[in-house]
Amino acid sequence: MNNIVFGKYIPLDTPIHRLDPRAKILAMLIALVAIFIPAGWYGYGIIAVVILFVIHLSKIKLKVIFKAFKPMIFMMCFLLVINVLSVKEGALLLDLGFLEIYSKAIIDTLYIIVRLLLMIMITTILTMTTKPLDLTLGIEYLLTPFKKIGVPAHEIAMIISIALRFIPTIIEETMRIMNSQKSRGVDFEEGKLKEKISAIISLIVPLFSVSLLRADELANAMEARGYVPQAPRTRYRRLKYERRDLILVIGAFLLLALMITLAIVI
Amino acid sequence: MVTFKELSYVYAPDMPYKTTALDRVDLDITEGKITAIIGKTGSGKSTLVQHLNALLLPTSGTLEIEGYTIKAGEKTSKLKELRRKVGLVFQFSEYQLFEETIIKDVAFGPKNFGVSEEEALERAKKALELVGLDPSYYQRSPLDISGGQKRRAAIAGILAIEPEIIVLDEPTAGLDPKGAKEMIGLFAMLNKKMHKTIIIVTHDNEIVYDFADDVTLLDGGKVVCKMKAHDFFAERELLESHDIYRPRIVYLKELLKDKGIMIPDDIHTLADLAAFWRDHE
Ligand SMILES: Nc1ncnc2c1ncn2[C@@H]1O[C@H](COP(=O)(O)OP(=O)(O)OP(=O)(O)O)[C@@H](O)[C@H]1O
Ligand SMILES: [Mg+2]
Repeated sequence: MNNIVFGKYIPLDTPIHRLDPRAKILAMLIALVAIFIPAGWYGYGIIAVVILFVIHLSKIKLKVIFKAFKPMIFMMCFLLVINVLSVKEGALLLDLGFLEIYSKAIIDTLYIIVRLLLMIMITTILTMTTKPLDLTLGIEYLLTPFKKIGVPAHEIAMIISIALRFIPTIIEETMRIMNSQKSRGVDFEEGKLKEKISAIISLIVPLFSVSLLRADELANAMEARGYVPQAPRTRYRRLKYERRDLILVIGAFLLLALMITLAIVI
Repeated sequence: MVTFKELSYVYAPDMPYKTTALDRVDLDITEGKITAIIGKTGSGKSTLVQHLNALLLPTSGTLEIEGYTIKAGEKTSKLKELRRKVGLVFQFSEYQLFEETIIKDVAFGPKNFGVSEEEALERAKKALELVGLDPSYYQRSPLDISGGQKRRAAIAGILAIEPEIIVLDEPTAGLDPKGAKEMIGLFAMLNKKMHKTIIIVTHDNEIVYDFADDVTLLDGGKVVCKMKAHDFFAERELLESHDIYRPRIVYLKELLKDKGIMIPDDIHTLADLAAFWRDHE
């Protein structure tokens, strides 16, 4: 159950932690685009090396990232089955009589797995090395130019920061309710379908009621302290760009450019 | 006997912010008694009691309970049977309610343990009566009653399972004083009449003094001491060093003693003291 918290901020002091959140968000977006450029295995190799280097700098344990990937293994298997059944291109690898497996099916699946893995790595780096508050502050700053065309930058940032703030709370709440129901004989791991359904209901209903309660409490607390979304506000914390932030963004752009070049050349 | 042997528990062991919530706990809890577990906020009380029905498994060390031996790193089978024998009422237990009606919610536990529908409803009625929710509540939704009533319903939900050992994590927090007293009176009754082992986590020293046989004091995940409740509150230095306030009766007896009035050691309630006083006059 604890593997849900894979994206949780880990307070350390590394060069990655010290970067400006805006630069990190931008670099992440650029890197995500880069991942979706079909630059072949060389391209993915380069991205992987870069990401692993950043992970190393940020002192995140690889174990944590694989934990985050674990729940997706099931989905991957499902994908593999679909690909094997539908993709009939490339070399014939295996002929089981009733089923022929082609190389392209395997390669396509591998592509998706690698992309997903890289994406998880990048987003995990961002969320684990950036305080949730800084993250939302960064988003707000990046959205500010769009205010002119009516994008409610502050509201979006506030919604995101509240959502982020409540993820650990809801996980905790989930664990607590699960434990309460386990004490009442609910078996979340085994059991027949009917028991499974009843187990899930016994978790979902209290979780919803608690979440609504919490939301209500929070709304009241904010209103009681005079929160008005449209009101002009000042900031306690100001973000400051430094040279290293510029280097990061330029680096990300270079990576993207390299991928595009590779995609065109190959 | 429930026995903790060198039991440690660490939250988030892989993370830089890991917490050792229990640190090599050695502890015996006698069956058939009321044991109070006390200690500051964050001292590990909730963590300790969640080991009793194997919701948490030790990081190291062992726990022996009801014929089960739960060892760190080893899988124990039939945990469900253990959970039938050891009923745990959570801190904030009011959030576990979910059925459409209170009576169905209370019957949920016994049904999970294989009790028939009718029998489960019978037990639910009995348990609801014990916790003081009369039949007018049976058909109400557990989601829109008051916090204190939810707490009662949640406690009934565990009592209906009819466990041998009843573990309660701060069952009286949020109840009004009269309700709290009734609730504790109920646990004392279950202990005296039905010989249930009661393990109760509480911050209320009056309750500890009036109802508990034994006290275990936790601090920073370690067991500081385990004593008879009445002896514990006589240890002035220990109490002072852990910032534990004395129950009113103990305080009063000490005041009287300081004034040179000797009170026999076996007087433990205000009523007894008053009676003694009358005879004395
Ligand atoms: N899910 C968790 N993840 C990480 N640390 C935790 C978790 N639950 C508890 N802890 C930590 O373990 C320690 C013991 O917590 P525990 O809940 O057992 O204390 P407690 O004595 O029950 O406190 P209280 O009187 O406030 O209920 C605390 O330092 C707490 O921060
Ligand atoms: Mg607690």
